[in-house]
Amino acid sequence: MMKTLTFSAMLMAGTAVAAWAQDATPQSGGTLNFTAPYGSTFGTLDIQTSSSVQDEFVAKAIHRSLYDWNSDTSQPELELATKVEVSDEGRTHTYTLRDAKFHDGTTLTSDDVIASYKRIIDPANAFAGARYFTNLVGVDAYKEDTSKDIEGLKKIDDKTFSLTYTGATEPGYDLMRVNAAIYPAGAADREDLQTNPIGLGPFKFVENIPGSRVVVEKFDDFYEEGKPYLDKVNVLLLSDASARDVAFRNGEIDVSVMGPSQYVTYQADPALKDHILEVAEVYTRNVGFNPEREPFDKKEVRQAFNHAINTPLIIEKLVKNKAYRATSFLPISSPAYNKDAKPYEYDVEKAKQLLADAGYPDGVDVELTATQNESWGLTIVEAIIPMLNEAGIRVTAKPVEASVLGAEVPAGDFHSFMWSNVSGPDPFAVMTSFYSDTSVSSGNYWRFDNAEFDALYEQARDENDPEKRTELLRQANDIIQEEAPMWFFNYNKAVMAYQPWVHGLQANATELAIQNYEDIWIDDTAPESRR
Amino acid sequence: MLRFTIRRLLQVIPTIIAVVLLIFVIFSVVPGSFASSLMSDGRGGADADMVARINEQFGLDDPVHVRFFDYVTGLLQFDMGESFRFRQPVTEVIGDRIWASLKLSIAAMVFAIVVGVPLGFIAALKPGSILDSITMIGAVSGLSMPQFWLGLLLMYFFALILGWLPSFGYGGGDFKYLILPAITLGVTPLALLARTTRAGVLEITNEDFIRTAHSKGMSNSRVIRWHLTRNVMVLVVTTIGLQFGSMMGQAVVIEKLFSWPGIGTLLVDSVAIRDIPVVQGTILVIVLWFLFINTFVDIIYAAIDPRIKQT
Amino acid sequence: MRRFNLNLWLGGVLTLIVIVGAVFAPWLTSLDPVFDANLMYAEEPPSGQFWFGTDEQGRDVYTRVLYGARISLTVGIVSQIINSVIGLSLGISAAYWGGWWDDLVNGLTNVMLAIPSLIFALAIMAILGPGLPSLLIALGLTNWSWTCRIARSSTLSLKGQGYVQAASTLGYSDIRIMWTQLLPNMVGPILVISTLGIGAAVLAEAALSFLGLGIRPPFPSWGAMLTGARELIVIAPWAAVFPGLAIFVTVLGFNLLGDGLRDYLDPHMRTRQQ
Repeated sequence: MMKTLTFSAMLMAGTAVAAWAQDATPQSGGTLNFTAPYGSTFGTLDIQTSSSVQDEFVAKAIHRSLYDWNSDTSQPELELATKVEVSDEGRTHTYTLRDAKFHDGTTLTSDDVIASYKRIIDPANAFAGARYFTNLVGVDAYKEDTSKDIEGLKKIDDKTFSLTYTGATEPGYDLMRVNAAIYPAGAADREDLQTNPIGLGPFKFVENIPGSRVVVEKFDDFYEEGKPYLDKVNVLLLSDASARDVAFRNGEIDVSVMGPSQYVTYQADPALKDHILEVAEVYTRNVGFNPEREPFDKKEVRQAFNHAINTPLIIEKLVKNKAYRATSFLPISSPAYNKDAKPYEYDVEKAKQLLADAGYPDGVDVELTATQNESWGLTIVEAIIPMLNEAGIRVTAKPVEASVLGAEVPAGDFHSFMWSNVSGPDPFAVMTSFYSDTSVSSGNYWRFDNAEFDALYEQARDENDPEKRTELLRQANDIIQEEAPMWFFNYNKAVMAYQPWVHGLQANATELAIQNYEDIWIDDTAPESRR
Repeated sequence: MLRFTIRRLLQVIPTIIAVVLLIFVIFSVVPGSFASSLMSDGRGGADADMVARINEQFGLDDPVHVRFFDYVTGLLQFDMGESFRFRQPVTEVIGDRIWASLKLSIAAMVFAIVVGVPLGFIAALKPGSILDSITMIGAVSGLSMPQFWLGLLLMYFFALILGWLPSFGYGGGDFKYLILPAITLGVTPLALLARTTRAGVLEITNEDFIRTAHSKGMSNSRVIRWHLTRNVMVLVVTTIGLQFGSMMGQAVVIEKLFSWPGIGTLLVDSVAIRDIPVVQGTILVIVLWFLFINTFVDIIYAAIDPRIKQT
Repeated sequence: MRRFNLNLWLGGVLTLIVIVGAVFAPWLTSLDPVFDANLMYAEEPPSGQFWFGTDEQGRDVYTRVLYGARISLTVGIVSQIINSVIGLSLGISAAYWGGWWDDLVNGLTNVMLAIPSLIFALAIMAILGPGLPSLLIALGLTNWSWTCRIARSSTLSLKGQGYVQAASTLGYSDIRIMWTQLLPNMVGPILVISTLGIGAAVLAEAALSFLGLGIRPPFPSWGAMLTGARELIVIAPWAAVFPGLAIFVTVLGFNLLGDGLRDYLDPHMRTRQQ
């Protein structure tokens, strides 16, 4: 395990441009103008109910979960507990909670954790986080209302509790999620839960101007000594990329998530190029095929699709190198990524030959469902249409809104689709999507069904040695490449520009824009309005 | 006057009923759902089990007529339902945003009136002159630009190059944040007002009663003061009413570009994630605003010109 | 004596330029707007080879602006035809037959006026999904209320006139009277409102593109080109400037033409609509 971690940690350090001086001493004070780019509104401030990234921008300041993602080591780490004892062959995890205070002054106890998890699991609530607990012992009885308590969620004393699963489980990847945040027990009964959040995070809620911004200020009793550095964070809504560009250049915002065209401009600008943070994110952009429909039932056609597209050229010219070329599904930052694998090469003749071999000498007609997204939508589709056309794959684009894509793909109602799907950080969880027992609606959008893959997956599931397990997953990932259930396009490189006075940003591979605000600080060069 | 007012108010009711029915029908056949929108970020945030739960929780599995009945029953009690996304009553969600929308509409309209009406008068002073042509072609140009393009140009110029104004957002509600979006939104009504004013002045100066007034020996300035202003005012007020009433709907693009927290951005975002109760509520508010302003203008109209009441 | 009608001439010339560009696009350029994409030439500035430069996909902006005229004009003209047909048939029949039908049409017109057309179009696009046919339907169904009102009021005033009543006593069918006696008498005002409507539809297409509900790529529409290129404004401004200019010239042309027509047909009509 250590070896693979070191590999991915090295990779992180390599991709992240650590432009700030590591030895600089953090300063306290000041205001940060952070931007939330994924939409023009925040949903509810009750983060347990939400599953959207956009809402995490606020929640990350106010709330804390049992685990947290460590961007340096690229793995989940204990956050609210000081230690965990794993027993029972990885089934039982016993946590000792740290001394921490909620914003209302109460102290964190096991009761808070248990109440929070029970609220998330409660089927009447229909929270997205409920799936983190599906294999907890006794969860079904609780859901069916035959039991008031969950057997596997046990309070030992005020500071200790345990989680017991039906099989060996590494809960960190799930319980680090922001929507598994811990609320004070009894929070669920509060009237103002939606509008006045109370958590354990470094900042406490001040005001919300719906549709414009959320303001949070320093929580003096935060459990990490000396943090947070900032006095105040304004989380500003700014969804239009061109408007964000102007606002950033104008110094109105301190960070800006960038698309491909801005990435190029910023890199070329001497004033901006030294303040760009890059990270290999865990999203794989792909065109998924429906193997139950002609012509995608033929492996040759799926491979031909991969050969017909000049992928490196698209990544260079259209995506402006704001991506890493994909070989198979698992991304570069994944421990199970096969760095020796060669991607499908661009070879139109070979593509034509494969089509002919599959029985389509005159080419094929396919429909491609895609959204307007510039990185994994119609912009890319526009570029591949002429390339595929040359090889005899005639594509008709079917533009849809994101919410319709989210309905049609899980329902299996597509010929092919273009999407960006999460492919990390836990390679085992990712591979579950390709297991033949996983239904389309639960994530196997490619309807992958391969006996060899299933055997490797099952071996990995039952394997306790992390290194062997990773190796099995790597082999499984190679089978996905050979079977080509999708066009392997790229792994996202997330890029964020920041102002020169901002320090302490983290290269978060799970979602770059989501930051631990308590580590961020600003120096003396910041403009007057931030001081 | 009171009877006229009451009659006008009663006339609005069937329109409201039809609008409620129409938007309900449209958004019950729209593809995609709130649950499916949760899956669209590709993070696998929702699974089939949760989708089913959400649909059940929000009553999306009920037959259409049951949902419509519930919706209308709620509306009669001023209850627009509960937002899927905010998990708050729709009235509260809209209430949080309506002030920003009103502020933007009023500012844009004030800008349009203050600039547009005098411009129309100036152009009408010497019809056919260079000044007239420039003013009018300028006005038509204002009507011919995509709003978001104009907004972006203003943003670049005033925020980035000159550094005079903030480029986006609402701030704490400060005035300087209002200027750019208000100007962008105000250009269309400005152009229309300039044209209407000019045309009104021109038409009326040609009309018989002014000539009659002249022949009666009334002085030029009195003619202008009495007949002209009153008759032009009727036209201008009508244009203002129509423009002001439809402004909340027109502001959608501008609010989105400038991240202005009005109900326009709320509507677009809610359509995208299929938060249907908010969509229905927002459209209803926009429609009610339009009807309110127009009824109000009609009543003013009747006060200015009593002949209207008979028709 | 009629004085020189600047609007009519200027509008006419601008409109003509756009129509010529649209109709003769294949003769004015040798490239294909979709398939002649070469990423090796992405974001080239204007030159002898690429008159308007190239976009981020390496497509010739000049070619795309020309072919874009076809799409934008189709959007404008077809949606206006749909609007006129709906508006005229409802307006004339309502005024001619009167009674409950008139009330119903009146009510419907009020509803259409009350829901801003952009929002109505947004809703229809959400149902039908983005694309050209949906756009034509969305814009064609949402802008007929003014046409309807004008048709209705013209019919009301014409109905009482001798020749219409004469046609009625001669035993002409209602439809025939509407078609031959009423319709020809309102061509002028309807032409004016349709010309203005074409401009409005071209703008609406751009707005819907901005909101993410435009035309099915890769076929070029000016709105989609502008929306896509606005982020290139610093590195490749030409990709945004030319489609923006094309929209501006087209809408300006149709607006001026509409104004000019109005002056030409009836200088007094101006004031009756905003």
